Amino acid sequence: MPTVVRVTSEPTTAERAVAAPRAGWAVRAEGLTKRYGTLTAVDGISVHVAEGEVHGMLGPNGAGKTTFLRMLFGLVRPDAGVLEVLGRSWSRDGNATLDGVAGFLESPRFYPYLSGRRNLQLLAGLDGGTAPGRVEEVLDVVDLTGRETEAVAGYSFGMRQRLGVAASLLRDPRLLVLDEPANGLDPAGIRDMRALVARLAASGLTVLLSSHDMDEVEQVCDDVTIMKRGSVAHHGPIAELRRQAPPQAHLLRTSDDTRALELAQGRPGLEVARAGAELAVRGTQGAVDLYVSVVVRAGLAVRSLTLGEAPLEALFFLLTEPAPAEGPPAGPDGQEVHP
Amino acid sequence: MNPSPVRAVERSTAAHLVPRPSRPPRPPGTWTAYRWELVKLAALVRTRAVLAGVLIAPPLVVLVLRGQRPPADTLFGRHVHDSGFAVPLLLLGFATQYLFPLLTSIVAGDVFASEDQHGTWKTLLTRSVSRTQVFRAKTLAAVTFAAAVLVVLGGSAIASGVLLVGTQPLTGLSGQSIGAPQAAALVAAAWASTAAPLLGYTALAVLLSVRTRNPALGVVGPLVLGLLMGLVGSLGGTGRLRRALLSTPLEAWHGLFTATPVTGPLVQGALVSLAWTAVCLAVAHRTLVRRDITGG
Repeated sequence: MPTVVRVTSEPTTAERAVAAPRAGWAVRAEGLTKRYGTLTAVDGISVHVAEGEVHGMLGPNGAGKTTFLRMLFGLVRPDAGVLEVLGRSWSRDGNATLDGVAGFLESPRFYPYLSGRRNLQLLAGLDGGTAPGRVEEVLDVVDLTGRETEAVAGYSFGMRQRLGVAASLLRDPRLLVLDEPANGLDPAGIRDMRALVARLAASGLTVLLSSHDMDEVEQVCDDVTIMKRGSVAHHGPIAELRRQAPPQAHLLRTSDDTRALELAQGRPGLEVARAGAELAVRGTQGAVDLYVSVVVRAGLAVRSLTLGEAPLEALFFLLTEPAPAEGPPAGPDGQEVHP
Repeated sequence: MNPSPVRAVERSTAAHLVPRPSRPPRPPGTWTAYRWELVKLAALVRTRAVLAGVLIAPPLVVLVLRGQRPPADTLFGRHVHDSGFAVPLLLLGFATQYLFPLLTSIVAGDVFASEDQHGTWKTLLTRSVSRTQVFRAKTLAAVTFAAAVLVVLGGSAIASGVLLVGTQPLTGLSGQSIGAPQAAALVAAAWASTAAPLLGYTALAVLLSVRTRNPALGVVGPLVLGLLMGLVGSLGGTGRLRRALLSTPLEAWHGLFTATPVTGPLVQGALVSLAWTAVCLAVAHRTLVRRDITGG
């Protein structure tokens, strides 16, 4: 396959541009490491998020995304490296590091015996209070007005997600960290969550969005960090990622796949390989069109021709899935590392 | 299918979303966190039930004992029909064996572990309060509840004895007669003397709550340990060890009711209790501050 995917720690030109020291980093991590016993959950990663940027963190379960975000929030302490959030660090500034930072990790959790409003009042109290009416305002933003007096124990998963967004907005953050915010939401909810993230970004807020959905990140993020087994597999603009992506794959089924494979031999700009019960055909659209016409002219029946995984999605898998010699991914049962 | 998280976004104005620069008005501190811990405690049915229970139980016990022969095999039990001051001492004897470790642990053993149970550590610790402030606030809330149990139970026991039996002189442990005013003062002092060991049990429950992250172990643990300490203390030849146990100070009030009051165990018991409190809280604080919050 002609596409070369870089998974080493050697940075690209674009990455060097992103990683070069400059003022105005919302998040600056250098050589950040976290180990749980013998398991290295985050392995010396360097991540830079500029202020005002919508930055995606992508990776399969167990890649270390949530561990990184937990370090950012001060919930777990790194074993090595530097981590600055809005110019502050936990080692130097303690809890003041969270000034201007809000968000939630995994699914947001609340006190089930308190109402939604009481939970928000409590959290606002723990932030030193908030302006009168602000709680009602954020409840309205997330469409929980009318349900705010009910105990959270009776809330659906989606309502708790919305309450989590409300609790984050209550802090009037400069940096909003959202960990899988669309998890468990219906398609309309996912659409609206993306719209909310886009609107927040448009207001000048820095957003750090963790996800395992390439499509979600591609739609809303300017830059992306892709993690694999605790390391950074890619860090840079989405545009750079697009340039590295392989051509769109087509999945072809014919009456004689062996003969179809033979017909692909020596065709410039075309790669054909078996993919399960189908043939994966990669190349420019013109090359694929020409190949299909050759297959038909050779007397083979084309039983199906469909689009394969999107180029960025294909690149994501190439970046994050272990090569055959690498063995299984880190983390027990393929889950995010939570000892 | 779940509903949209932000359906109202389209009809909300951008002003809702744009961060506001003026915050926070003042940095929150331990007292703010403490106030919210009390709000959370007040919202729990079991804390209200315990306080209601310790208020109602003493008069019920007196009414039940009225129609029965006095429990002669218990401390001051044989005098419950003769003096209203014997009633709170009978109840105190029972409370120090079983009730106090359990009742104080209902909050202290749960106050940290419930955050693990609900997965709310990450909610709490991503706000503007530090772990140390949260630790102090929760510990203060647990101590407040323990003090409330002591005051309500003691107050109810004394009032029940005085109102339902009377203010007759109390027969002391040496057989001496103690007049009503002195008996009232001694009974109040006896109940007050349990404050220090109660603080120790609260700290022990806090430690178990932080270390085990399990509300059940946090609540039942101090009771089991208290009973074990009582058992060890009752064994012969354990004099020095007995003095260091947290169960021993709960019996120190007995010395107030001898013909020649013995106050040494009270002072020693208070010191032992404070030592237990200091050690348990120091270990619990260190554990919480150094802990990686990975669950929830």
